[in-house]
Amino acid sequence: MLPADCSRRLVAELRDALDACAERQRQLERSLRVSRRLLRTWEPAETPAPQPTPAPETSGEAPSPESTPSSQDLKELELLTQALEKAVRVRKGISKTGERHKALSLKSGSAATSATTASAPSRPSGQASCGVSETKPPRGIQQTVVPARGLPESRLLSVGDRTCMGRGSRATKPGPGPRDQQIPPSAALQAPEAFTLKEKGILLRLPMAYRKAASRNSRLWAQLSSAQTSDSMDAAATAKTQFLQKMQMTSGGPGSGLSAAAVEAEVGLLRTACLLLRRRMEEVLSADPADCMQEYRCLLTLEGLQAITEQCLHRLQELRAAVVGQQLGPWPVGRRPGASLPCGGGTDPLWSPQLLLYSSTQELQTLEALRLRLAMLDQQIHLEKVLMSDLLPLVGTQGPHWLARCRAVHSLLCEGGERFLTVLRDEPAD
Amino acid sequence: MGRRRRRVDRGAAVGALPEAIAALSRTLPAGPSPEIFRRAKFDRPEAAPALWQLLFRVLSPPSADSASASPAQEAQVRAVKSELRSQGYPRRALAQLPEDGSQGSRELLLALAWLLARGPLLERLLAQTRVRLGDEIPLCECEALARPGPPVPRVEADGPVDIRHLQWLMGKLRFQWRKLITSQQEQCALLGKIHSYTRGCHSDRSLGHLSVAETELLRDAEGGQQLLRRLESENVRLEAALRWRRQELVFWRWMDTVLGTCPPEASQPTFVPRIPEQGAGEWELVARELQALQEELRGAAEPRRAAWEARVGGWGPEWSAVQRASREAVGLELAALQRAWERGGAAARPHGPCRLVKSDAGASGGPGLRAAQVIEVLRSREACLEAVLCQLQRQCRQELARLAGALPGLIWILPPGR
Repeated sequence: MLPADCSRRLVAELRDALDACAERQRQLERSLRVSRRLLRTWEPAETPAPQPTPAPETSGEAPSPESTPSSQDLKELELLTQALEKAVRVRKGISKTGERHKALSLKSGSAATSATTASAPSRPSGQASCGVSETKPPRGIQQTVVPARGLPESRLLSVGDRTCMGRGSRATKPGPGPRDQQIPPSAALQAPEAFTLKEKGILLRLPMAYRKAASRNSRLWAQLSSAQTSDSMDAAATAKTQFLQKMQMTSGGPGSGLSAAAVEAEVGLLRTACLLLRRRMEEVLSADPADCMQEYRCLLTLEGLQAITEQCLHRLQELRAAVVGQQLGPWPVGRRPGASLPCGGGTDPLWSPQLLLYSSTQELQTLEALRLRLAMLDQQIHLEKVLMSDLLPLVGTQGPHWLARCRAVHSLLCEGGERFLTVLRDEPAD
Repeated sequence: MGRRRRRVDRGAAVGALPEAIAALSRTLPAGPSPEIFRRAKFDRPEAAPALWQLLFRVLSPPSADSASASPAQEAQVRAVKSELRSQGYPRRALAQLPEDGSQGSRELLLALAWLLARGPLLERLLAQTRVRLGDEIPLCECEALARPGPPVPRVEADGPVDIRHLQWLMGKLRFQWRKLITSQQEQCALLGKIHSYTRGCHSDRSLGHLSVAETELLRDAEGGQQLLRRLESENVRLEAALRWRRQELVFWRWMDTVLGTCPPEASQPTFVPRIPEQGAGEWELVARELQALQEELRGAAEPRRAAWEARVGGWGPEWSAVQRASREAVGLELAALQRAWERGGAAARPHGPCRLVKSDAGASGGPGLRAAQVIEVLRSREACLEAVLCQLQRQCRQELARLAGALPGLIWILPPGR
């Protein structure tokens, strides 16, 4: 058994690590749900309208859309969306209570069960869709939405519709926007095939309102990031520094200008410095100098590194003195201790994301796998340091089960808990 | 152009201030009305609660907002005071304000101005709540580290545990990571599919295909409307921020007058120095590491220097020129190394979130990073970290061997290598 405080610390650290991992998993699951849903067949009520596009449908079923959706269209689109949502609600309500064919008979009235001929269910739907008025759509939608659920019904519908409607009737239907396509005949022809991203993805077009908003958004971000130099900006910058100085002076004396947050940031930088210096040192030590000059350079590099390390130590002492000598206030909370910020966070940050181009799924997978591996290594290194500081002293003290403990510690610290060593008692054979 | 602007500023100074403040309050999240600002100048108490809330919103870490309902007034006040203190707010009057949040509007106004003056506060706030339209991948973990995770109710381990419990936890962790990696691979495959299926659909040619958010917008009209609304409100805030940029000079002049109305604070009273415990831990760690490094460097450099001096002692002047050249070269290298951490290395490494775009061309023209390059950078960093981990493990092995060697009569058979 481990001593209590040691146990608590180590268990807490490991639990922290597990929580961090679990959080990532949760976010990933969320994204996976969304992506999977997008790649499945889209629910008919949610099927988008292929926006006006020059791309012709291969089957020639869908009509070429009338025009780019105007604001009028968008308004009607909105109304239609609401009607669709209502339809979905009703449909869900009904399907909960009865079986499917019962629902069919409820809604379509005259429509028989799926066994009946094609014309029966399609006629009411056709009637509902042809020359439809604004009040009719809910009923008509119900008709056509339901069949799309199952293949037999949908096939019936398509047959029925083709006989029932001609292309001309489409022109007479009132102008609701392209969204409406799937409900009336043409879309009833589509609905059986249901929308999948794989087949019809290319036809998607973003709505105009979104396009405008998104381009405005990126333009504004670009302006915000780039608006650096102008007369008013410089004047404002001087005004700001003057204001800060005045604030400092009115607070009754010059401070050191150091805040706890700044000290913490610098300590973090020095930590990064240590890492980089050590890395360079190892590079130099592992390299075999081929000739005199390289040897000399190695020597100079090592001495230079030593000088820089001393500078860093000196700076660290200065920061320490500042912390002790000033009433710097509480340390900023909420930052994970021991986490290094190698990016220095904030020197000319990019406010809006830049593009990352990848060419194949493998590339993307490699990229993401590397990213995760780096996070995992970071975590492992941190855990290794913590475990080392707590477990190694325990092995030093002999006691009961010392061998077992030694073996367990070895596996945890030296093999990442993956492998175990074997201990043999060397009995002299006699 | 600039001259004209200045003339306009001077002439319209009277009207410009309310506009500037209106722009400011539009940009801020939960920004109070311009009237509050005016009242705060005269230190009216009714302006205080709104300003406390604003400062709390501005200073709290990004994830905290969405998580829970805002805490009670006293908790907010305490949090604001503590955070301002740690950032180095110079005026002591703030710390002396009562915790019920009923007073101090002028001081709070000064605090807000102080925060605005120190750094790009508005831009940072806008970036935190930015509407993400693309599929983004963060290239470095600094955001993930800076944001504290949601607090998980921790069941305290009662009493001491066996080391086997630790082994079990480690195994569980390893398994979690493996699960995570497979999930991630699946997500990448799905993303790749979505990107290729929607090729050519985006109005922006440089992007070429839709992202998950955009496709979702098309699938789910309700969600799409929400996204659109958020986008539009962000646009409003961005425009307000740009307007503020143009007009902020007037605000700063006004703040000077506000500062002028404050009574000057007394000189610093005596205080008791104390060392914050959390910070001390980090400091100790870094100090120890630097000292260890220094020892190692000394141990490596001194004998080499001695050997070198012994060899080169008799060499002639023709070497001195070469030596000087070497010294300069090494000096430059080390200076570059120093810059790497002093500047935060931000320019050296890709930083911040990137929008994923699937593009076959891989054209060398075009803006944006190439995945292949980023992969290389990440690979080198991976090698680095692996080296660090190996070195730590080696240290442990040596230490354990030393301890185990104390006991004779045992044979330690190490597990087969990787």
